[in-house]
Amino acid sequence: MLNRRNVLAAFAAAAIGLQGFGMSAAPASAQDIIDASLRLKWLTQAQFAGFYVALEKGYYKEEGINLTINPGGPNLLTENLVATGADTFGLSGGTDSVFAARDKGMPVVCIGVSHQQTPFVFVSHKDGSVQKVEDFKDRKITTWFTGANHVLSAMLSKVGVDPKSADIQPQQVSVTPFVDKQIDVVTATRYNELYVINQRVGKDNLNLFVPEDSGVSFPRDTLIVSEQTATEKPELVERFLRASVKGWKEAFANEKEAIDIIMKIAPTLDRAQQEFMLKEVKTLMVAGKASTDGLFTIDKAAVGSANDLLAQYGVISKPVDLDKAFNSSFIDKIPAEEKRL
Amino acid sequence: MSGIKASAASLPVFSTGRVYAAIKPILWLTLGLAVIEATVVLFEIRPYYLPRPSAIAANIVATPGAYISGLWRTVLETALGFVAGSVFGVAIAIVFHRWTLLRELFFPLFVVSQTIPVIAFGAVVVLWFGNTLFAKAVISFYISFLPVTVNTLLGFNSVDPRQVQLMRSFGAKDGQILRRIYLPAALPQLFVALKLASSLALVGAIVGEWFGDTTGLGVLLLQAMYNENVVGIWATIVVSACLGMGLYSLVALAERRIVFWGNEQ
Amino acid sequence: MMVSMNSETSRQIARGIAGALLLAAIWELSARGLKLPAYVLPSVSSILSGMVSDAGNLFAAAQFTAAEALAGYAVGCLIGMAAAVLITMIPAARAVVLPLATAINSVPVVAYSPLVLLWFGMGMASKIVMVAIAVSFTIFLSTIAGLDRVDRRSVDLIRSFGASRLAVLWRLRLPTALPLIIAGMRVSTVRSVLVAIVTEMLGAYGGLGWVIYQAVLQIDFVKVWAAIIVASAISLAFFGAISFIERRYVFWK
Repeated sequence: MLNRRNVLAAFAAAAIGLQGFGMSAAPASAQDIIDASLRLKWLTQAQFAGFYVALEKGYYKEEGINLTINPGGPNLLTENLVATGADTFGLSGGTDSVFAARDKGMPVVCIGVSHQQTPFVFVSHKDGSVQKVEDFKDRKITTWFTGANHVLSAMLSKVGVDPKSADIQPQQVSVTPFVDKQIDVVTATRYNELYVINQRVGKDNLNLFVPEDSGVSFPRDTLIVSEQTATEKPELVERFLRASVKGWKEAFANEKEAIDIIMKIAPTLDRAQQEFMLKEVKTLMVAGKASTDGLFTIDKAAVGSANDLLAQYGVISKPVDLDKAFNSSFIDKIPAEEKRL
Repeated sequence: MSGIKASAASLPVFSTGRVYAAIKPILWLTLGLAVIEATVVLFEIRPYYLPRPSAIAANIVATPGAYISGLWRTVLETALGFVAGSVFGVAIAIVFHRWTLLRELFFPLFVVSQTIPVIAFGAVVVLWFGNTLFAKAVISFYISFLPVTVNTLLGFNSVDPRQVQLMRSFGAKDGQILRRIYLPAALPQLFVALKLASSLALVGAIVGEWFGDTTGLGVLLLQAMYNENVVGIWATIVVSACLGMGLYSLVALAERRIVFWGNEQ
Repeated sequence: MMVSMNSETSRQIARGIAGALLLAAIWELSARGLKLPAYVLPSVSSILSGMVSDAGNLFAAAQFTAAEALAGYAVGCLIGMAAAVLITMIPAARAVVLPLATAINSVPVVAYSPLVLLWFGMGMASKIVMVAIAVSFTIFLSTIAGLDRVDRRSVDLIRSFGASRLAVLWRLRLPTALPLIIAGMRVSTVRSVLVAIVTEMLGAYGGLGWVIYQAVLQIDFVKVWAAIIVASAISLAFFGAISFIERRYVFWK
């Protein structure tokens, strides 16, 4: 382990000079181990593989953090738990929930964005009546009323369809109504629902409508800390990010082992589905600005457009102060070479 | 008498009648499952509505560790919550019975407290009680105590006041009257409530596990629900049903023993 | 007699209100005194003003939830009582129905919710079914306990006069069982509203559970509490109504 660290440090130093060297050398003294916890947005699954890999391989320990990973659940709001100090770090819903939290005065700061692109798409049957976004008019559509509905509204507005003209209903846990053709368009995350729909309808029988194609972007899966942690323990935040990035790179470099680690914790999961999930998550995490700047990069342009979108639809009372809500100083301290795949 | 019964049962006696009595429920269960299996296969019922029982069994057998550790965790939470809820439920009933003012001030609030869906307050529960087994037991306790209080009070009300007056005239103290008259009178109703409370406590433990946990039947259920793993949902339902029935049987057994003992006095 | 009953009732109501006010005062004081942020505990006054400003929405949601809870409650009570009467009338059925009903009930109601949502959709039907499942067993157990309370000797006596099973049921068993049945019905009122709300949270087109779910995700805790208070008010009214019937018609006997 130690050898690899040193090799890595040497490599980083050679690549970016003294600054990088000093950075990598700093946390090597691990005499004072700090207890911290990471609250996920959902139950253990491959969507969070990198964190579990980092934990399993002792990357957090190496950085002097004794990390506990707490899964999420329905109606458990990560922002809330981080704001109150119940958890140190959080992998929260996304830019939407960070904005909503800031809008309500919660002292949370985003320190990294995981999914650089909108992680969900809208899906219709190829042999159905919806072939392009314009066709959404008067059709039955289900979506999540937690942000996805606004993405949908924005997509429709861009092609001149009044969002009110579509029959938009809240989406339940199951995609069965879509599979049974009771509804025309369903919302699906690329890493989860889409897998189930592919399995049951067949990949080739589906039309996918990607928000980015309509010029709408909604980055999700945001890493957050409380303002207090950000100001009082900046080095803890840095070390956490460094170990997490390392864990994710390891997970993508050795996917089989990463899935093994996940399956050990949650044995009832479907392995094939988890493998699919990790591949899709990888695509989302290295998309856009992350392809050059590396994992967890905060793309201020994409985040800003989501900010404007939510303000436009009245989800937040006014656009949030971006620089206060999104602090990229921590993730930027890690050289891009270390963060890139 | 029960001691004799127990020791007789533990003796290796192979009377055919006794063996039949023991395996009769298993026979019926097997038959029932076979009928369901045949129905599903014959009528080609989609697994999304009803999977074959053998598929459900195969699912459990494939990852027994997950179900066993989940079951054990949920058992602990439920047991803690149930015991605490029952004791507190009876204690509050005694307090409310003794002090009418307290009952009239706070009983409505107790009812109100039960109308709050704990699931809306996941964050608050984690905030107050952390990510511990104890937090789940608290929820289990919270949703199981009111039926116990309500039924115990009902049982107290069924006591004939003249009987109480009689005992008091003989110089009996409050504690004695409680033990001799009120508690025995409340036992039948109390056990009705305890049977309910046992299943409510299980609900509490399972819902409690929805607030971010790694093991437990509630976690398995959520995972299966959101991955649309219908076989997994059914597998968890079956395990929960076994647990629920086990708890219910325990309470029913206690009822038979204790109500019998109560009547004897 | 009637007068004393009324004065007792009004005293109970007064004390109930006093208890609620006491709690509200402690709540308001601790929320303000400790300067708790809204996501920990909003003050009562902010919740009340939130309720007023959002009254239209909340009222519509309350109607929705109340309709689901009432319908499910009615269905559940009927099923529970019918099943209990049935297995009392046909003792042979008891051995089959009782374990089955116990098994079904011992599964946490929430576990059925994905299946029920799958089968009955996201509309009111799925909530009514969920409430009915939850309520029917409570009523079933209470009714069985009540019907079994009858003194065996009384049954034998009446039957020796040639009374049919049905007559025994109607004349003897049901009146004896009534207090326990109503007690079960009283406990179930609260459960019915709760189950409707929890099911709405998992998937619905409206209702208080839906409002709560949305508000949690939008980090609007004042709205969460406002919806909770409306839900409590419905449950309490429901509970009060059944208690009233109980006092009027059961103990009056």
